[in-house]
Amino acid sequence: MRWMWIDQIIELVPGERMVAIKNVSLAEEHLHDHFAADGELDALPVYPASLLIEGMAQTAGILVGAARDFKEKVILAKIMRAVIDCEVFPGQTIRYEANLEHLDTAGAATKGVVSRTEAASGQWEVIGHIDLLFSHADQSMTGVDVPEHNFVFGENLKIILQSAGLAGMVGGDR
Amino acid sequence: MPDSAVLTQDEILEKTRDILMEALVLDADEITPESSLTADLNAESIDFLDIVFRLEKTFSTEDKPFKIEPGELFPDNLLDNPEWVQEGKLTDAGMDMLKERMPHVDFSEFDQDRDVEKVAANITVASLVTFIDRKLSA
Amino acid sequence: MKFNLIDAVLEQSHDRIVAIKQVSLAEEYLADHFPSFPVLPGVLMVETMVQAARRLLSDRGETRLVLGEIKGLKFGSFVRPGETLAVDVTVTGSKDGTYQCRGKGRVLRHDGSRSDETAVSGRFTMRPIRRVLPG
Repeated sequence: MRWMWIDQIIELVPGERMVAIKNVSLAEEHLHDHFAADGELDALPVYPASLLIEGMAQTAGILVGAARDFKEKVILAKIMRAVIDCEVFPGQTIRYEANLEHLDTAGAATKGVVSRTEAASGQWEVIGHIDLLFSHADQSMTGVDVPEHNFVFGENLKIILQSAGLAGMVGGDR
Repeated sequence: MPDSAVLTQDEILEKTRDILMEALVLDADEITPESSLTADLNAESIDFLDIVFRLEKTFSTEDKPFKIEPGELFPDNLLDNPEWVQEGKLTDAGMDMLKERMPHVDFSEFDQDRDVEKVAANITVASLVTFIDRKLSA
Repeated sequence: MKFNLIDAVLEQSHDRIVAIKQVSLAEEYLADHFPSFPVLPGVLMVETMVQAARRLLSDRGETRLVLGEIKGLKFGSFVRPGETLAVDVTVTGSKDGTYQCRGKGRVLRHDGSRSDETAVSGRFTMRPIRRVLPG
């Protein structure tokens, strides 16, 4: 299965903000474990909060990467704060809005809002806030061993940028 | 607050303490001016980046952005330069560089040890306050 | 992907649990994270700690608690295929059906190299599932 937790980029203001959405579907295998029927309890598919954080990390990570032409290895280094006020269920859609707060050679900080909607309603409600800190793997002081090439931004990135009409953002040699 | 007003050291300490409480998930009473960020407050290098961004946000005003360059507040890439570090210890040139680059930190005791792994431990809350105060007054 | 991340529980008491998650190239998501540099995603380290906390708390009668909040959670060393994430989660308090937890994950290796590296550490809270926003 693919490790792609956003479906479509809705808006990208380079250096400022990115909005992405993700549809939640019973076709997703993980929902059958989260949660499976257990003794007297029925199965209850609930979108895991950790994957809400990953969706925000992918949205914010692309925003941060784009700000430096995807030349940096943008790695999630710290979840400064995440608050999830209610859950998301199959049939709903998640909206991630990430705002770039700080960017320098060592890394970046983003502030994010998570919203959900029922497919038919068109009404979004804010369900959480996720603030993240990314480090630029080669430049920062974290000292973890990373490969020479940029493993972070690959084919999945191109696909999602292409579908948003943003393929031009990705240069030739990367 | 009017732009011309300069913060007192106490006010700087208060704001710095709030930042450290948020960034390091600590209570107010765990943070004293003498606390070493790494040795007492368990800050790691990723926390340094978090702290730098929060300081920039807190102390910037419309007229005067508060921008901290890489390596200005916390030691950066020391191991990269053989002039400064030999066999894990700071050389004389290295010590001079540290004192010049980081005048807000008291390295007098560290001079006896010079273990490069321990540089960051000398940075206390008080040295952060000194750094901010100098930068705001510059 | 299968979403039961706890492979074994090593220790458990009333307010503390130590559990492991094995990382293996057999896990499909690694093909994407990242191609040519497979590593356990940070959020799956978080999920492992959350599942460990859920197991601990369900033994107290609190079933299906979910992650409500995270504060200051840091990532350190990578966990690669062939390595194991060992999480140590402690419940530090509770209030109105919400439980405060502190967790740390270490990397275990079979090649005899350094075994004290921290992959993840931070604080989080567990709470009951909410279908709608509170209040």
